[in-house]
Amino acid sequence: MTDPAQPRLDLPEERDPRLPGPFGVGRWAAGFRDFLRERQRVLLIGEVTNFRRARASAYFELRDSDGAVPCAIWTSDLDRLGLPEGALRDGSEVIVAGGPDFYPGTATASPSFSFRVSYLRLAGEGDLLARLAALQAQLEADGLFAPQKLLPRPAIPKTIGVVTARNSAACADLLAGLERRGWRGTIVWADAPVQDRRAAGAIAAALRDLALIPQVEVAVVCRGGGSLTDLWAFCDEALCRTVALLRLPVISAVGHESDRTLIDDVSAVCCSTPTHAANEAVRVNVGAARADLLAGASSAVRAASVAVASRGRRLAELAGGPGRSLRSERARLHQMLREVRASSTRGYFERGRLAARHGLVLSRKAAVATAAERTGRSTLSRLGRATEARMAQSMQQERRRLEALAVTERAHDPERTLERGYALVAADDGAPVTSAATARKRGRVVLRFADDAVGARIERGEDVEREA
Amino acid sequence: MLSERPESYEAAVARLEAIIARLDSGDAELRETLALCVEAKGLIQFCKGELDAVSGELRELKLDELVAELDAPPGDAA
Repeated sequence: MTDPAQPRLDLPEERDPRLPGPFGVGRWAAGFRDFLRERQRVLLIGEVTNFRRARASAYFELRDSDGAVPCAIWTSDLDRLGLPEGALRDGSEVIVAGGPDFYPGTATASPSFSFRVSYLRLAGEGDLLARLAALQAQLEADGLFAPQKLLPRPAIPKTIGVVTARNSAACADLLAGLERRGWRGTIVWADAPVQDRRAAGAIAAALRDLALIPQVEVAVVCRGGGSLTDLWAFCDEALCRTVALLRLPVISAVGHESDRTLIDDVSAVCCSTPTHAANEAVRVNVGAARADLLAGASSAVRAASVAVASRGRRLAELAGGPGRSLRSERARLHQMLREVRASSTRGYFERGRLAARHGLVLSRKAAVATAAERTGRSTLSRLGRATEARMAQSMQQERRRLEALAVTERAHDPERTLERGYALVAADDGAPVTSAATARKRGRVVLRFADDAVGARIERGEDVEREA
Repeated sequence: MLSERPESYEAAVARLEAIIARLDSGDAELRETLALCVEAKGLIQFCKGELDAVSGELRELKLDELVAELDAPPGDAA
């Protein structure tokens, strides 16, 4: 065990032969002061906190969400700036010019570091807008505008988280808006400062806590109107990054319609007023939706009744159908029968009248024919004689032609061929068999010779043919 | 037939409107009509439940108190 009271003198650094010194601390502190004073002078922007005025200097901290620097300004320099009374106070957004400085202290006074301010002015809208634009571009480049807008938001959330300054006008407006929506669910109030340098961190913490409560379905961040300086907390980079990456949808309603803060860009929905935010948080008017639902239910019931009733009627019609069809068919048949009867009677008389007319015409024609016969008989006898002579001549010619044909026919007569020693092959039914294939197929054939016919059977037709 | 809980209130209302349009058209056959009516009834019940859940008394809670409850170790409530 080592004795804790015993100083350790064997530090590795002490043994390092490259380390200069040891120096007297006062001289080194003075050198350090000179070193800092040679640093480049810069402009800083931030919020004044803990401002206090002493006899020779005024002191304050210049702070933003990322850190702070202790500042000091000679009262003579401050007075020369001619700032309005009370302008420089805690919460003021200022731009300072200066550089780092160091008071080395004395044998009895403590040393201190400070940023020595030689010039100071209140930050104007222009300064803030320039910072806003740069931050906006950075957040957009990091893709932080989109995530919140992609989160699903229920139309009728049961629980809404609200981050605001309790009992503010914005808070009352939001409640009134929700009431007008007919919404009476659960509100989780997250009270937070909405203006000073603590606001951004407190709002971000409240949103993170709301996101941890599973019942909270949507969060609303609201604040009334103000200058950009007043609303500057809602442009805080850390707050905006928190909102952008939150899984809980956030509706922002900061300032009035003309006010624009960075949280508006990263939130799911940006609203111009708390009333507008209420409408976005509860997108369905609960009262109207209830009436619509009732109407929808009635409509569905009515449609179903109509559908069933109309089909019932149709079924009833179909059920009565056969009898009705039979009756109508019977009536149609009766009508057709009546028409047929009427038509036959009419036809009978028509035909009677037609026959009488034909009789008259025939009797007239007969009279005409009798007269013609008498005048034509002599002509006929003369013609008859000429015809008889012509016919005798024709008969003679025809007889000669027939005899020639008979000679030719005899030459082709198969009987004559049989007489010459050929035989005719016929089937049982007398049909001639003119090919070996038919003979094989028939099996039995009749061979006709000139003197008689004999039956024959085709055996192994193919072999015979091959032998042949 | 309503086989599962609707995705959201809007989805339920949209489906309900489609069902009513179908029923009003008179084109649905009897079997379909009855099935649609059963589905519509389920959707109406769901929507009614959603509306009823936000139609009672407004309830106000404080985040600080809820967070304190969450942070409290188990058994502290007793």
